[in-house]
Amino acid sequence: MKTPQGERADDLDALAGEYVLGTLSAEQHEAVRHRLEVDVQLRTAVDAWEQRLLALNALAEPVVPSARLWKRINRSLDGQRPAQPVRWWQRLAVWQGMAGAGALASLLLAFSLLTTQPPPPSYLVVLVAPADSAAGWVVQASDARNIQLIPLGQFPVPSDKVLQFWTKGEQWQAPVSLGLVKPGEQYRVPSDDLPPLEPNQLFELTLERAGGSPTGRPTGPVQFIGRAVKVL
Amino acid sequence: MNSPLPLFDFQGCLEACAQGDRRALHALYEEEGARLLGVARRIARDDATAEDILHDAFVRIWTRAASFDPARGSARGWIYSVTRHLALNFIRDTRREVVLDEAAFSSMPFASDIDLQADSAKIHRCLEQLEPARKQCILHAYVDGCSHAEIAGLLNTPLGTIKAWIKRSLKALRECMG
Repeated sequence: MKTPQGERADDLDALAGEYVLGTLSAEQHEAVRHRLEVDVQLRTAVDAWEQRLLALNALAEPVVPSARLWKRINRSLDGQRPAQPVRWWQRLAVWQGMAGAGALASLLLAFSLLTTQPPPPSYLVVLVAPADSAAGWVVQASDARNIQLIPLGQFPVPSDKVLQFWTKGEQWQAPVSLGLVKPGEQYRVPSDDLPPLEPNQLFELTLERAGGSPTGRPTGPVQFIGRAVKVL
Repeated sequence: MNSPLPLFDFQGCLEACAQGDRRALHALYEEEGARLLGVARRIARDDATAEDILHDAFVRIWTRAASFDPARGSARGWIYSVTRHLALNFIRDTRREVVLDEAAFSSMPFASDIDLQADSAKIHRCLEQLEPARKQCILHAYVDGCSHAEIAGLLNTPLGTIKAWIKRSLKALRECMG
């Protein structure tokens, strides 16, 4: 991911250090927490600080938990599904990041209306990075069998990770995978039994381990996200 | 047999938790619960709150075990991070306005039995290279969960100075530890 302009590596490391130390204000802390979902550089710096300072935890005297605490924990697990990763559409950062997408979608829409020969795509989606709302990809679709993903730039992906493309209609239970995407390359979704496209349908790219999400649901951080706008 | 004590398999436990094995979570609790509660107690400064934090931490370890990524750090480090950040969030939400008194702190000495793992020795060696007051800043922040303002009060030093000390101390620690 890109680093905001003017932020030097030193500043990034200082921010990561204070995040782990715990001295950031509540607002700064929240901002870092959201940024961590998409900013690989910051995440690496935070991980390094967690590791550096970990041994200081030994300075706190151990306290034996009361006998009832484990029973309480065990009871609380009854209502929990084991080890499901947080789903991307439940993350606040995702929704915040989409704020900037509207204006850009309008621009692209105007552009496409002026230049595109008929038949025009009936849906347009601008996918933006949650952290800074920078546009990364455009989705063009005339119907559910004809969805095309077009890159607006080069976005490096760690060598052991892949980008996975997802969509979710407003009434759907969970996102559906549209396949793995190569960074910086156009991608046409293979014909599939997708329900018809709808306005506001979510599209997103997550970072997943090689081979794609093992669960069939997004598990990695959201890289780009946007909602479908109907084109006349 | 006089074989060395096998190391506790934190990562294996998290993997088993991700598969829904509650015995693995209980093993983690037995192994690390008291130390984690000590960490939470130190930051929360209250027994009942500390147990609430540890409860939330273990529920979170359970529900988030699948998101643990060994490429990003140790499994043991991960469960400490989960617990510390929950404790820090708790005091951020509730206690930042409370004025600390120094007497309460002197009754909570730093534990003496520091385990001498490589990492532990390294951070302590590097901390020793800082001026004593700056070292106190780092420890009050990390171990006690103190804010800049709280540390300024404890050390009777202007807030701006504390902020600058912490920034520079972190930089020095990073250079010392690599």
